[in-house]
Amino acid sequence: MPDGSPRISPKSTFGTLAREKNFKYPPKDSHVAPILNEFVTPALESFNALFDDSGLPQGDGDGRGLLSLGIADIGERVVFDGKGQVGEESGQRGWGNRLTVWYEQVSVARPMVSERDQSARVRKTYPTEARERLSSYRGRMTVRLCWRINDGPVEKESRDCGLLPIMVRSVRCNLRGMSSAELVSHHEEPEEFGGYFIINGNERLIRYLILPRRNHVISLIRPSFTNRGPSYTPNAVQIRCVRPDQTGVTNTLHYLSNGSATLRFSWRKQEYVIPIMLILKALVGASDKEIFEGVMMQEYEDTFLTDRVEMLLRSFKTYSLYTGDQCLEYLGDKFRVVLGMPEDWTNKALGTWLIDKLVLVHLDNPRDKFRMLLFMLRKLFAVVSGSCSVDNPDSPQHQEVLLPGALYGMILKERLEDALTTFVRSIQIDVQRGDPSVDFFDKRYIKKMLQKTNYEIGARMANFLATGNLVSSTGLDLQQASGFTIVAEKLNWMRYISHFRSIHRGAFFAELKTTTVRKLLPEAWGFLCPVHTPDGSPCGLLNHLSRTCRIVTHPLSVSHIPALLAAHGMTQAFSTSVDGRRNLCVQLDGRVIGWAPQNIVQQLAASLRIWKTEGKHGIPLDLEIGYVPTSEGGQYPGLYLFASRSRMMRPVKYLLNGREDQIGSFEQVYMNIACTPEEIEKGIFTHVEHKPTNFLSILANLTPFSDFNQSPRNIYQCQMGKQSMGTPATALQHRTDNKLYRLQTGQTPVVRPNLHDTYGMDSFPNGMNAIVAVISYTGYDMEDAMILNKSAHERGFGYGTVYKSQIIDLKDLQGRSASSSAPTLHFGFGYEIKTEGEKAHSCVEFLDLDGLPYVGTRLNPGDPIAAYIDDTTGRTKFVKYKGDEIAYVDTVRLLGSDAGDQELQKVHVTLRITRAPVIGDKFSSRHGQKGVCSQKWPMIDMPFTESGMQPDVIINPHAFPSRMTIGMLVESMAGKAGAMHGLAQDATPFQFTEEDTAVEYFGDQLLASGYNYYGNEPMYSGITGQEFAADIYIGVVYYQRLRHMVLDKFQVRTTGPVDPVTRQPVKGRKRAGGIRFGEMERDALIAHGTSFLLQDRLMNCSDYSTAWVCRTCGSLISLGYDDVSLGEMVIGTGGKLKPTGPGGEYCRVCRAAAEAEEERERKALATGQNGSRQNGLRVSIASQQVLGPSSKGGDLDIVAIPYVFRYLCAELAAMGINVSLEVR
Amino acid sequence: MNSQNGAGNYNSAGGFAAPQRQDMEYLCADCGAKNEIKSREPIRCRECGHRIMYKKRTKRMVQFEAR
Repeated sequence: MPDGSPRISPKSTFGTLAREKNFKYPPKDSHVAPILNEFVTPALESFNALFDDSGLPQGDGDGRGLLSLGIADIGERVVFDGKGQVGEESGQRGWGNRLTVWYEQVSVARPMVSERDQSARVRKTYPTEARERLSSYRGRMTVRLCWRINDGPVEKESRDCGLLPIMVRSVRCNLRGMSSAELVSHHEEPEEFGGYFIINGNERLIRYLILPRRNHVISLIRPSFTNRGPSYTPNAVQIRCVRPDQTGVTNTLHYLSNGSATLRFSWRKQEYVIPIMLILKALVGASDKEIFEGVMMQEYEDTFLTDRVEMLLRSFKTYSLYTGDQCLEYLGDKFRVVLGMPEDWTNKALGTWLIDKLVLVHLDNPRDKFRMLLFMLRKLFAVVSGSCSVDNPDSPQHQEVLLPGALYGMILKERLEDALTTFVRSIQIDVQRGDPSVDFFDKRYIKKMLQKTNYEIGARMANFLATGNLVSSTGLDLQQASGFTIVAEKLNWMRYISHFRSIHRGAFFAELKTTTVRKLLPEAWGFLCPVHTPDGSPCGLLNHLSRTCRIVTHPLSVSHIPALLAAHGMTQAFSTSVDGRRNLCVQLDGRVIGWAPQNIVQQLAASLRIWKTEGKHGIPLDLEIGYVPTSEGGQYPGLYLFASRSRMMRPVKYLLNGREDQIGSFEQVYMNIACTPEEIEKGIFTHVEHKPTNFLSILANLTPFSDFNQSPRNIYQCQMGKQSMGTPATALQHRTDNKLYRLQTGQTPVVRPNLHDTYGMDSFPNGMNAIVAVISYTGYDMEDAMILNKSAHERGFGYGTVYKSQIIDLKDLQGRSASSSAPTLHFGFGYEIKTEGEKAHSCVEFLDLDGLPYVGTRLNPGDPIAAYIDDTTGRTKFVKYKGDEIAYVDTVRLLGSDAGDQELQKVHVTLRITRAPVIGDKFSSRHGQKGVCSQKWPMIDMPFTESGMQPDVIINPHAFPSRMTIGMLVESMAGKAGAMHGLAQDATPFQFTEEDTAVEYFGDQLLASGYNYYGNEPMYSGITGQEFAADIYIGVVYYQRLRHMVLDKFQVRTTGPVDPVTRQPVKGRKRAGGIRFGEMERDALIAHGTSFLLQDRLMNCSDYSTAWVCRTCGSLISLGYDDVSLGEMVIGTGGKLKPTGPGGEYCRVCRAAAEAEEERERKALATGQNGSRQNGLRVSIASQQVLGPSSKGGDLDIVAIPYVFRYLCAELAAMGINVSLEVR
Repeated sequence: MNSQNGAGNYNSAGGFAAPQRQDMEYLCADCGAKNEIKSREPIRCRECGHRIMYKKRTKRMVQFEAR
């Protein structure tokens, strides 16, 4: 140091060395950024839950996976061979032998090399191979099918279901449990977190979807309900019931204007409505009194209720069904045809089955269903009477998430069920046709039929993932049939990770005219990010999960809770003497477990919370304690406990004991959570946020000083961060994406929130630190344009690269016909191509002897990129580089076949396209301040400070007043101070207060490094050298280069391709078309009176054409030509001169009319009129010399018309409409 | 082996024989081993059996105008 003091080297706040070490030696037993593995857990664990060996805790179940539960729910299918005798043992009622089939087990193997390949030493396949070979990452799925005849022995048979796409890093993935070092050795990112599928080389993921909260009754008022039929009212209560295998059924209880209610459900996309009384009776054989007491709950003086229950009971008398069995038989009889269950089932069995499978399916016990239906009735009547409010289905309080694994399991279950049904149906058809081969006791017959059945489940799942289309016979109780999957684009890292946190409201809501579903509700606080949503059409429908929001994926064990609560004062559910006025309902996952007075319920809720945070009584932390207190016309009160999966939960601190608490979106509504410890008020707040920024998504958290900005600017940054050129991946060598954008000179931002390090964003830099001067300098910074320092540009500021792929597949070139036999196309040169010497073929400049391009060669548009020989012709053909800009060959991949036993047929070429910043390229700071580069200004002409510094970027001061992005101004100061002191400045929002301001903090730092306190400096004009009158605000701002580049967008044409029909210029940039000069543009020219321009645009530069028009008849389309080139006259039938124009042109219509006239005259002559006319002398005169062609069809004129007008005339003529032009 | 005798004449179906070219050397995408693969041979690493090969960077001089 100059003053002799020892040089102090403060610890680096950028962590450069640690990062370099991690890159060189990735950790062998852990991950570089462990948090990245956390945020995809919902996707991964939900997929793992499909399998019995999921590794998830068992909860209340027996640890079976969703697939096992699913095949248990599918049950058995039955078919009869019709060979039995009536009354015989084997053929009860003459149906014959009874063949029962069911699934015993579904198993999915890890992705392996095909068995045909003997040579591969590594039998496992890894995702990188699927990506590079453009194949899918799949494992073999097999199902074990059992069958028995009558009561005979059980036979078993395995059936191959094809290759099932496997989620990367799931329990079936070969990357499971690998550390960063191992991942890198398998060509993955060190932070690879999986959660997606690989289909044809694309990474695709199933998007989270918002669904109604399961097993919870919500009240609705929808005017559309009245359209269901007479006496339907808008009132209803609805419950989405979910079975243990995560498939759901929605039950709706409609209120009818006569006071009764009907239950609606759907079966195979068809809706059915059943009177509620029928179901209540069928469930438990309840007497009228039992139902009356159950609904009334001793509220006898409530005449509203008594009236309706009375109506309910009286109206059911018309059915004359008195016992439970009668009701079941009635139901079974009505639904026999619809359900398609075994023929030998009794009506009663069918009725029981119907209620079991379609009414409140989350409950097994009919008594539980009965109680729940009574509760629904009570809630319905409460809504109708107005004593409780309607629930908002758009509020996250009543929502949960459809997890990828759950959806995958649902589709798999349905596919398996369909396959079993078609198997049985095909046997049935054989029986009905009287096929002689039908023999149930012949194993070969059954096996043959099984082999014939389509079990291509793997391929159908791959199709689902590739298209996102759901092909389903039941609809899976979902509101949409497409758009379930998206491509996880690796445009840059921010966009990539956002895909995994995005959550969609549903395609159905996108078309909705009302905007209520898009509203940002206070209930979403902490679960859905208020900032991170796109603007435009998906605004508010496509949200992103907040940073700390979790989704419960593992089953919880809560079976002991009812007993525990009963021991603490809850009246159990079976009690018959509960007073409904004083007692509130206690429910656990949509099951009534008891009743308790309000004060007890409050106590129970409080104790449960203490127990769960402290881990006492085995209460799981993820239990949601939704205590809804009694209110005047508020939400229907009660204590609703949720322990199911798919719920959104988030961590907060519980103030009572200082422990961490997990809260759900249902209970949060009734809680008081302080944002910061400072604002806690005793007696009000029960919880406090861990961090005040936890409600923001990852991306929104990465915006520096976002609390200083106007909120829309932060929304814009969330979008632009996802469009910036950055570092999409570190394993770029092994990626085969169609298009990748890469910023060559990425830097770590000087100013960044601490979370930047937590999420390991330094591995994927997304922009550059730029010296930014806020000054109106040359006029080239008007209207959000920015001036780039030419020298900064030459030093590499914003230099980027685009990687594109070109795939050459000889199988496609060959066509479908010869696909099965040996290939007839081979990469390489034929004999006719000279590769050496003077007369070498021009392609050897680009292509190696194997017919593939040299790695590193430069390609111009149209250059050959590969050569192949056609065996049938023996000729060599070339594949051309199809792009329209110069590219360099980066990688050439030779892709083998699945089993590695075929010659080269497919090549993947990665092309590198350099994209240095040019005028017109888009840049943006991290504050929604985007701008277009307007000039690359020479450094010598840039303004400079007193220390001689020159800005990299100049932006206009007018960018600030209206947009109020103070965060950018603060970042500028902080960046400047950070750069001077070598500090990574923490830019986490909500750190500064009115007393402790950011300006003060960074101003002091600036002062310490010898700058002006406020970050402005005197500057001098680079052109005149004079000092500016004002001090210029200059500092360091992180700039992103956005992927929108002029080179991809410019569209210009003078002449070019035209439409063959209209002869107008074609549209579209790709086809070198023009830009439409539309009606409104035309209006502008008319308004300005610029007729010459109008003529030029719409006529001369478009479809200008000249045409002959007949002066006589005005027709444009009747032109004919006589060949008069030799000066000959055209002689007609009568030996007369035919009238033509000077070039031989004539009007066919008029000539025909003239000839017809002549003919008529001649006929008149022949029939006896005096023939004054006689054949005269014939003289040969050139037609040009003939004067006055008269009106015989030769009088034509040339006019200029738009070609499309002639087309119109022809079209009109085809319709029988004649267009006549008057030529003056 | 003279080239007149047509090393590729076994391929009678097409009628035209593929010219015998020298072996090309590729790199295995998995283990990085050098593999000499003739034209019309299966794409498979001799070391590990992997099914993807990378083409080696050209040895020719690559020089472009620097602007």
